[in-house]
Amino acid sequence: MRSKAAAITAVTALVLGTSAACGSGDSSSGAGDGTIHVLVYGDAANKVEKQLVDTFNKTSKVKAVLDTIPGADYQQKLQTVINTPRAPDVFFNWGGGSIQPFVKAGLLLPLDDFIAKDPGLKDNFLPSVFNSAVVDGKPYGVPMRGTQPVLLFHNKQVLADAGLTPPKTWDDLVAATRTLKARGVTPIALGGGDQWPTLMWLEYLYDRIAGPGLFQRALGGDREAWASEDSRRALTTLKQLVDAGAFGSNYDSVKFTDGGSPALVAKGKAAFELMGSWYYSTQQDANPDFAKSGLGYTGFPALNGGKGDPADVVGNTNNFYSVLKRTKHPEAAAAFLELMYSDEFVKAQLAIGNLPTTTSTVNFLDLSASPGYSKDQYELVKAAPSFQLSWDQAYPPSAMTPMHTAVQQFFDGRLDTDGFIKAMQALPTS
Amino acid sequence: MTRAARPGAAATRPGFVWALPAAVFFLMFALTPLLLVVVLSFTSWDGIGEPRFNGLDNWTALLHDPVMIQSVWTTLLLTALGVVTQTPVSILLGVWAAGHQRNRAVLSAVYFVPLLLSATAVSVVWRAVLDPNFGVPAQLTWLFGDGNLLGSKGGAIGVLTFVGVWQFTPLHALIYQGGARAIPQVLYQAAAVDGAGRVRQFLHVTLPQLRNTIITSVILMVVGGLTTFDTVLILTQGGPGTDTTVTAYYMYQKAFKGFDFGVGSAIALVLVVVATLISLAVVRLSGYDRMRGTAEGL
Repeated sequence: MRSKAAAITAVTALVLGTSAACGSGDSSSGAGDGTIHVLVYGDAANKVEKQLVDTFNKTSKVKAVLDTIPGADYQQKLQTVINTPRAPDVFFNWGGGSIQPFVKAGLLLPLDDFIAKDPGLKDNFLPSVFNSAVVDGKPYGVPMRGTQPVLLFHNKQVLADAGLTPPKTWDDLVAATRTLKARGVTPIALGGGDQWPTLMWLEYLYDRIAGPGLFQRALGGDREAWASEDSRRALTTLKQLVDAGAFGSNYDSVKFTDGGSPALVAKGKAAFELMGSWYYSTQQDANPDFAKSGLGYTGFPALNGGKGDPADVVGNTNNFYSVLKRTKHPEAAAAFLELMYSDEFVKAQLAIGNLPTTTSTVNFLDLSASPGYSKDQYELVKAAPSFQLSWDQAYPPSAMTPMHTAVQQFFDGRLDTDGFIKAMQALPTS
Repeated sequence: MTRAARPGAAATRPGFVWALPAAVFFLMFALTPLLLVVVLSFTSWDGIGEPRFNGLDNWTALLHDPVMIQSVWTTLLLTALGVVTQTPVSILLGVWAAGHQRNRAVLSAVYFVPLLLSATAVSVVWRAVLDPNFGVPAQLTWLFGDGNLLGSKGGAIGVLTFVGVWQFTPLHALIYQGGARAIPQVLYQAAAVDGAGRVRQFLHVTLPQLRNTIITSVILMVVGGLTTFDTVLILTQGGPGTDTTVTAYYMYQKAFKGFDFGVGSAIALVLVVVATLISLAVVRLSGYDRMRGTAEGL
């Protein structure tokens, strides 16, 4: 009998111990006792975030604590933690659709009061970037890393060999693809296996043909926008390019993320690739010689008769810091956000290859690792009348998979124009 | 049938308390989550607010969701292809490796290497090998054409099946090796006396004796096939379109990319039920539940 009692005690202790271990995490990292927790996507850029937290802690009574979550798990972890006592005070996000569900759940603090006290929290940032964290007319985020516009990259040598110059208009591009195809080069490299690179072509064509308004209407819930004349024109125009073999035939087996499509361009097997500005550092890592001398870039070509401004860009406008409503130290959070337009921030971001989007960035561009590239990008973003956030980031997360699937099927000819329009109309908008 | 009761056996038999730790952990980490999934499947929950009960909404949505229905068929197809391709290869390899010759031991040790690699690593390697521009297909254009293996339904399913064979055959070969070694040598000697050659020995001695091993291995393949996830995640991401979106991957997409945990839970339950039913059917149809020994009469 004694042994049985002992066993029961042991088991009880074991179970209690386990649950106590689960519970103890809560109290230690809650947002109490004079600290604010800053949750950030974990990657190489964290050293700048660390540096700014240290700077902040030198003068502030309320101390900031930086928590990082390895990239791939970030969104999942954030989603599960944000409405619990362990939620951070300030957190990294992509603006737009990525914070919309949190805004709807009433979890985020509109930054109006902060901006009323310090207008610099708005005025010191490029408006086209700042606006992509505005939800339902209220600002919810302050840009905190670099901007990543999508550019049309090319292999200079391949174009020169074919007697071509970088295309300024869509017609130039179509003509160039014909010439290149005749020479046995894949005109445009596409990492279709990743699905999102394919989406970039639609984002730009819709902008050039219909202007940025059409997508904004669709995102706002106007499903008829997808069925409009301009929408159909954008789809037919793109489809013609696909059918002409501009992307080759095996793009769905190629990925950008495993280096497949960048290698095609670097080795001269393809001429163009449409990709975010990180492409430059991708090529620098994988093919340093090519990045130095062979890699060229332009903005997306203009389209004759289109309603969009040829200076418009699409891409990832920036990453943002948003503040939770339940934070106990809003003043400290505001003071922390103010560091995001400091000179120290701009210099540190430029040093790791990011292009910050403060209005002051222009003064420091010479500090960048590749000043020419940074300057061109900065001018492009600054001059852009519209900077459309990538569609898959602008829509709420639940729309991402069906959107990617529809785009891939449209390129493969499995969905026709009507089928694609229907698929886009079926996406959840809020 | 009954064992002779040893004196004092009842007194020393361990009490239920000794099973308690295992039972408690099973309850906490297997049964409770399963029950929670059942509850969640009747709610709408994005992980932020409170789960909100929405009755049968998730279930009716699933019933009318063409992707869900397609995903079940794709899963069954991949599972069937897995069983059909992996079983013969692993029986032959396993029986061959059961011999005690030294070269066989060395070769089978080499052959079991894929077993040690994670599915993720295997998928990443195969992705590189099958790259249409820089991998094997670029060298063998007469066989692969433009190399668009992952861009067509047939190609993508073929690749998943092939990688499955490469990855899982070693495990099953190992099981068959063990099974084949347990077959008494007398049977082969008797067969040889009766004039049976190698092939007949294999067909009439080895295979019948491996009956229970085959059932075990097939059940493992079926359950593994129904929950295929990592190779799909890395090789095809469910594409092209939704052609290789297997049920487990669809669950992941719904729950962890779309943050619709209600529908995700419902898909998970479908998977649990289907896997259980199929395993039960295999066990019943094969008579495995009656556990007839293959060594009877020896």
